[in-house]
Amino acid sequence: MKTIKFLTLLLMTVGILSCDDDDNSSVMQSVVSETVLDIHAPQEGGQGAPISGEFAKFDFQSGLQTDSETDWDVGFRGTTIIVNGGASMGMDGEPERTGEGGAYIFNGLMQEVIDVDTALFVQDSAEGLAIPTGSGNGWYTYSGPPTYIISPTPGKILVFKTRDGKYAKMEIVSYYQGAPETPQYGVDESRYYTFNYVYQPNDGVTNFE
Amino acid sequence: MEKYNLHFFIIFVFLFTNVTTPNNTAFDSIENKLDEVMITATKTKRVLSSLPLNASIITSDQIQNTNANRLSEIINEELGLITVDDFGGVKGIQMQGLDSQYTLILIDNQPIVGRSAGTLDLDRISVGNIQQIEIVRGASSSLYGNEALAGVINIITKDPGYGFTGSISSSIKTHKTIDNNINLNFGNDKFKSSLFYNHFSSDGYDLDASDFLRTVNKFENSTTQLKLSYLINDKFEIKFNFRNFTQTIENIASSSLSGESYIDEENINLSLVHQIENINTRLDIYFSNYFADEYLNDENGNLHSESFFDQIIFKPELKSEFRTKKNNTIVVGLGNKKESLNRTYFDIKPSQNSIFTYFQYDFNPSEKINLIIGSRFDNTEEYNSQLSPKFSGIYKFNKDLSLKFSSGYGFKAPEFRQLYFNFTNSTQGYSVIGFNVVQDVINQLINEGQISNIIVSLDNFNDKLKAESSFSLNLGIDYQLNSKTDINLNVFNNSTQNLIDVQVIANKTNGQNIFSYYNINRVSTYGLELNSDYEINKDLSILLGYQLLYAYDLDAQKAFENGEVFARLTPQSDAFRLKKSDYFGLYNRSRHMGSFKINYKNPKKRLSSSLRIIYRSKYGLFDTNSNNYLDKYDQFVDGYFTANTTLIKKFDKIDITAGIENILNYKDVQNISSLSGRIYYFKLKYNLNQL
Repeated sequence: MKTIKFLTLLLMTVGILSCDDDDNSSVMQSVVSETVLDIHAPQEGGQGAPISGEFAKFDFQSGLQTDSETDWDVGFRGTTIIVNGGASMGMDGEPERTGEGGAYIFNGLMQEVIDVDTALFVQDSAEGLAIPTGSGNGWYTYSGPPTYIISPTPGKILVFKTRDGKYAKMEIVSYYQGAPETPQYGVDESRYYTFNYVYQPNDGVTNFE
Repeated sequence: MEKYNLHFFIIFVFLFTNVTTPNNTAFDSIENKLDEVMITATKTKRVLSSLPLNASIITSDQIQNTNANRLSEIINEELGLITVDDFGGVKGIQMQGLDSQYTLILIDNQPIVGRSAGTLDLDRISVGNIQQIEIVRGASSSLYGNEALAGVINIITKDPGYGFTGSISSSIKTHKTIDNNINLNFGNDKFKSSLFYNHFSSDGYDLDASDFLRTVNKFENSTTQLKLSYLINDKFEIKFNFRNFTQTIENIASSSLSGESYIDEENINLSLVHQIENINTRLDIYFSNYFADEYLNDENGNLHSESFFDQIIFKPELKSEFRTKKNNTIVVGLGNKKESLNRTYFDIKPSQNSIFTYFQYDFNPSEKINLIIGSRFDNTEEYNSQLSPKFSGIYKFNKDLSLKFSSGYGFKAPEFRQLYFNFTNSTQGYSVIGFNVVQDVINQLINEGQISNIIVSLDNFNDKLKAESSFSLNLGIDYQLNSKTDINLNVFNNSTQNLIDVQVIANKTNGQNIFSYYNINRVSTYGLELNSDYEINKDLSILLGYQLLYAYDLDAQKAFENGEVFARLTPQSDAFRLKKSDYFGLYNRSRHMGSFKINYKNPKKRLSSSLRIIYRSKYGLFDTNSNNYLDKYDQFVDGYFTANTTLIKKFDKIDITAGIENILNYKDVQNISSLSGRIYYFKLKYNLNQL
């Protein structure tokens, strides 16, 4: 499945343009704010059996899914999310982490993540992932019977440090193909991520303004 | 409603054209409320209207008027009590907004065991030989100990009387639901006996034809009860009570898997009663065994899965009642309860012994005041010992107005399941582990390399899991407006704590979670109950009831207050923060419940009929917007009305009953499995009285 990319909103960095002080000679890049539809993140196994399969990797810089072994920031497989930083958890099919990425979960609204709290970043490790797995622990809630639906928990904002030390925030909004309003078990295809993200492409800048 | 009128009319026509009215013989004596006597509230015989507690009685007349077969049907028509469909299709009771596991169910003053995941199935109890159902709302552990956290329901079966009497009845309902009863009774001055047999069967029904599963599977069950009593001399009486219940339910799990669920339950009570002047002493030796077995076979008849549950309880109890000259009563009791359980998913066969003692002082400081104080102490090893005090009082301003107050402590001990479970789901791979075996099981899983991450330190499992507890308050007014109108208003508050919930304690290498039990939740339920009884004339009366209920998880409320809960209407729209007022409360609670009952009696024609309308406002069953709380943006089950009617015509020896349940044919296939549409029934009863 190809990633469809929508440019929903481009925030001009008004702050820079209207900035009175010319303390920074290099031109700052604009903060990128986009919605990505239907990143397919299949897996094999599960439901008690060992899980395997390749992770779908995403690169904030290009705003695209990538096959690159090194130039990726976030990996998706089923409900599992990994970052390009830290150590393997020992799962089957994990890509090698070559970057300095990390993540933490912010409880609140997307627009409330104004500044990144760099002290909170955690990397993947043998003990656990930066974005914890399991319903209610990380980014999603599993409804169980009778609807059997996996839904992103509202108010869970994933804040990322990219492989090269930049920052991004992400809000996952759907786990089903086409982001249907009320997904149905057995009808809608699962393991398709739709998310909003805001990416700060400038080095060392911890805010999203 | 047109259809209903038509059916009603047909029944009427049928009866009036076929019936010759007998002479003006004594019809059912009109039940005098002042005479109603209850034992459950104080373990002594007390007139209901003078009790300070929030208590009520469902009489055998009322049971007859609803033509109920099972206890659940009666409970459903009682204001503020609703039956809730729990796991495995069993029906539990919700009282004052508290879940079914917190109401103690007694038959003839003795506890019924065999709770499937906490719920005691009310459909296990036949109402064919019930004298009355006594209901006490509010924590009652001061007399009954464990489980009486929300209240007590005591089913009093008919005591044998004099002479040889009896009855045979048979009723048929839609879905081929057949209920047959035999009641036989023989007694003289010294010896009394009664035998009751009930056979109940149904084809069940299916609300959703798109799968192999049926909403209610075909089943049959039977209840046998034998009661004997013998007056040894003028001081001693010996009593024996035996009850047996067996049930077989077809179990269809999928197109290829089918089997059977089987239940066999015995309750045996032997009592020795000693009475001298003002002291009544009673020794009860009670034994109960609940055995359930469930299996599934594959297409070839090979066993696919089987599980069983075998619970035993043995409880001797000695109770003395002293009556002072001023008609005050002192009750003291002492007993020992031994429980054991053998079941699938347990590595051991746990047993538990608790010694208990209680006292109660029931006195009248003045003519207008009655006070009851009491306490009970339960000493056990498996959970913290419990002291359950109570205090209640009534003040009679005059014969028309009285003010009632009752307060008490209630507790529910951790169930064996919460202590000893060791269950792994075979398809999903998650595990649930009882509190007391967490350390052993987790250490074993660590050695096997199955644990990837421990979330809750094992040190947290050194202590005991605490009993769930509650403090309840009831404040009521009984007011007789005039000779025709009674009004009763009651305000209640239950604050519970240490409720036991499940949490994730570790992650497995297969990506699944391990759950165990822990004490956390504090739940608060409060509201009011309003009952009014209006006698239009001596043949026609109306009962109106209303319950307002607020039921909140206090920790959830705090999360809303702190702005930690969010919602999103669609994947495309922005998430937003919820306010405290957006929190709806606990699942499966309706804010408003109402009942309207109209009873008609015509003693001349020996005819009685009733129409009962029950309302339940909207409620939420699940969190549908994934924030783990029930808020006003979730999907709710619509509020609804059900209406039932019964018509009874009596002849010399034969009673004919006919009626319709769910006249409005209300259905909600998705959410309410217990409503299968309109149900018709017809019943014949033959009385062997005065043989």
